[in-house]
Amino acid sequence: MSSNMIMLKSSDGASFEIEEAAARKSKIIANMIEVECVDEDKAIPLQNVTGNILALVIEYCNKHIVDDDDDVATEEASEEEEEAKKKKVDDWEAEFMNSMSLETMFELLLAANYLNIKSLIDLVCQTIANNIKDKTPEEVRKIFSIENDFTPEEEEEIRKENAWAFG
Amino acid sequence: MNTESFGVSSLLSLPEDVFAVVSRFLSPSDICNLILCSKSLCALVDSEKTWLVQCEEVKVLPLLEIVQWRLGITSYKALCRFLVEVVKPLVGIWVQQNPELGNVVYVMPGFLSVVGCRIIPQKVGPSWIQEGQVIWSPVFEIICGFDGSTGFFLHGRDKEGSFLYPGFVMGIEKTCNVLLLEVEPRQEKSSCNEIEIEASSRPHGEHEGGVVPFWKLAFSDRKNLLRIVTRHVGLHVVEPLSGKLFPAKNDDEAMSLERRTMLLKMHKFGGNWKHMNLEVDEQLCYNPMQVDIDEMWEKLGDDIDIMDDIECEFSSEIRHSNRQSFLSSGETFGLSLNASYTEVSSYKGWPDMHVNHYSLYKLPIKNPVDNEEYAGLWGGTFGLPLGNCAEDESRKALFLLMLTYEESQEDNERHLIGTKILEGNDYVEYPNGSTMFDVNIDRPSFEPFPFDKDGRDFEHSFKGKGIGGDGYGFRYPGSKPGSLFVISNDLLAFVWRKTKDVITLQRLNLEEILKKGLGSCVPPLPSPKNFTYMKVFYINVFVKSSTYATSSD
Repeated sequence: MSSNMIMLKSSDGASFEIEEAAARKSKIIANMIEVECVDEDKAIPLQNVTGNILALVIEYCNKHIVDDDDDVATEEASEEEEEAKKKKVDDWEAEFMNSMSLETMFELLLAANYLNIKSLIDLVCQTIANNIKDKTPEEVRKIFSIENDFTPEEEEEIRKENAWAFG
Repeated sequence: MNTESFGVSSLLSLPEDVFAVVSRFLSPSDICNLILCSKSLCALVDSEKTWLVQCEEVKVLPLLEIVQWRLGITSYKALCRFLVEVVKPLVGIWVQQNPELGNVVYVMPGFLSVVGCRIIPQKVGPSWIQEGQVIWSPVFEIICGFDGSTGFFLHGRDKEGSFLYPGFVMGIEKTCNVLLLEVEPRQEKSSCNEIEIEASSRPHGEHEGGVVPFWKLAFSDRKNLLRIVTRHVGLHVVEPLSGKLFPAKNDDEAMSLERRTMLLKMHKFGGNWKHMNLEVDEQLCYNPMQVDIDEMWEKLGDDIDIMDDIECEFSSEIRHSNRQSFLSSGETFGLSLNASYTEVSSYKGWPDMHVNHYSLYKLPIKNPVDNEEYAGLWGGTFGLPLGNCAEDESRKALFLLMLTYEESQEDNERHLIGTKILEGNDYVEYPNGSTMFDVNIDRPSFEPFPFDKDGRDFEHSFKGKGIGGDGYGFRYPGSKPGSLFVISNDLLAFVWRKTKDVITLQRLNLEEILKKGLGSCVPPLPSPKNFTYMKVFYINVFVKSSTYATSSD
């Protein structure tokens, strides 16, 4: 089954060939396959995803489909092996997220949301959250290029209202 | 690539559902920092959805109850504040040294409230392990108003029946380990809001301008102040709502809402509450009766029992001037609850307590984790579990134990320690906080289980010691060899080698027992004794005063 290949087509016309098992990471594509609206010769058009983002999505899916296969093959793996493998995946994910800009990250998140790939949504959300966690508003504004449009009085008022959360 | 869309539009471009996933990884302070970034971000972030996620992430209340509580409060944000500031720091097991049979107050979520329930020393039947019933009695509750403001009630009893004593919550530290019942001086003019801010910004124990705080007063002065104030603010509890502190399995939602409305009215209007209506948007603000403490103090006169005063170090002049300073610091006086963090030393998990303060101490009960799988709260009786007890119909003392892990300084090996926190006997043999057993988990026991195993195998057994034998008087009991047998993950038995005495324990989830309706409620003690029982006592003070004594023996 894993040798079945299907075609995906991005909004800017780029075509990608991907193993069906990897494509099934997307609930949307999996559904399309289930109801057999996938024609073997025709590519599935994905109107909301550009080629460069789709390439990242496919990279992620391919990486994770390989890991899933490993799971089946080495069911009896020891705890240490399991841990080592998990660490490998974690390292890969960290590297994967590190390699892209925040802007790409947001586009990837929207694509993952559109394609409904839960583990990828979680991964990107966690990475975005890490850019917010334990940072001051000034730092967050800088990271996400946000302009402060509060007056000092308004800001003070909000700080006061929410003082409980900072205790 | 369109670089102009980068920046604020990227965070803002997230659909609400997706932002909710991001927010799951953030804390309330992170959320508030985002709100402070800009107006448009504030509009996206400061939403019911975000705060619902935050309520869940506090992890003190299941989603179903969060949604039910929302019916009685203006927003998930206000609810989140109550969960973070009040529920989370207080939930757990609180204890006092006296009386010696055990003073265990279990604090858990009620309905838009946290409630303190005392598990009283009790005897249980042979099928307790299967049924898991407990007898408890109300101690206090903190309710949450429509806007998230808080109010305190102490429970107690008088000649006429059960009473509620309204008061203030004067600040709860997030890492609190001591709960103090106090009297708080107040200025009539100031609104509760100002006082709250003032109180919370001032760490407990510090005082400006020479005003003496309550805890610095002599014991008898504190006791008398608490008596005077409770006598004045006490409200008779109306049946059938007494004892319904938390929604149990078969209760309907309407009853919880009705009781909650009653409490809000009592807190706001005192004795007139029955004839008043609550305005939805008004703050919880109990106005204590104007108590002319000075005059009442005179009347009390001979009533003041000097013998009660444990603190002999006070000279009578200092005592007097402290009292005067305290009494002149407020126009009115109200009951208050203060939850603060204090450095407390402990011996095998049992805190070293001040016995002359109206205080409860939090027990550091841990949840079971990978290498500490038996940590937590356990309950049980002497005798064998299941099966073999058919001929033995007598009621036995219920024991509650806290199991903790500790690295021994003697042998550098890991020990599992069972500390007794409650005992249901008529007369206590070993003090509260005694080590019932102490086993070395790196040393398996090769003792055979001396009873019919009923076809069961043991997962583990450990070698160690159990309480007993000659020690150094009541406080310092000795110990004798024994073994702990792990029957299953939720069932343990400790066997004393020589006597073959056996105590069988099962893991206990008090919240589940109480919410399943498996508890039966008995009336509280008179206030303020019901908060902390101040006298050294070796018999069960909780049963002789209640109907429980007649129904069980």
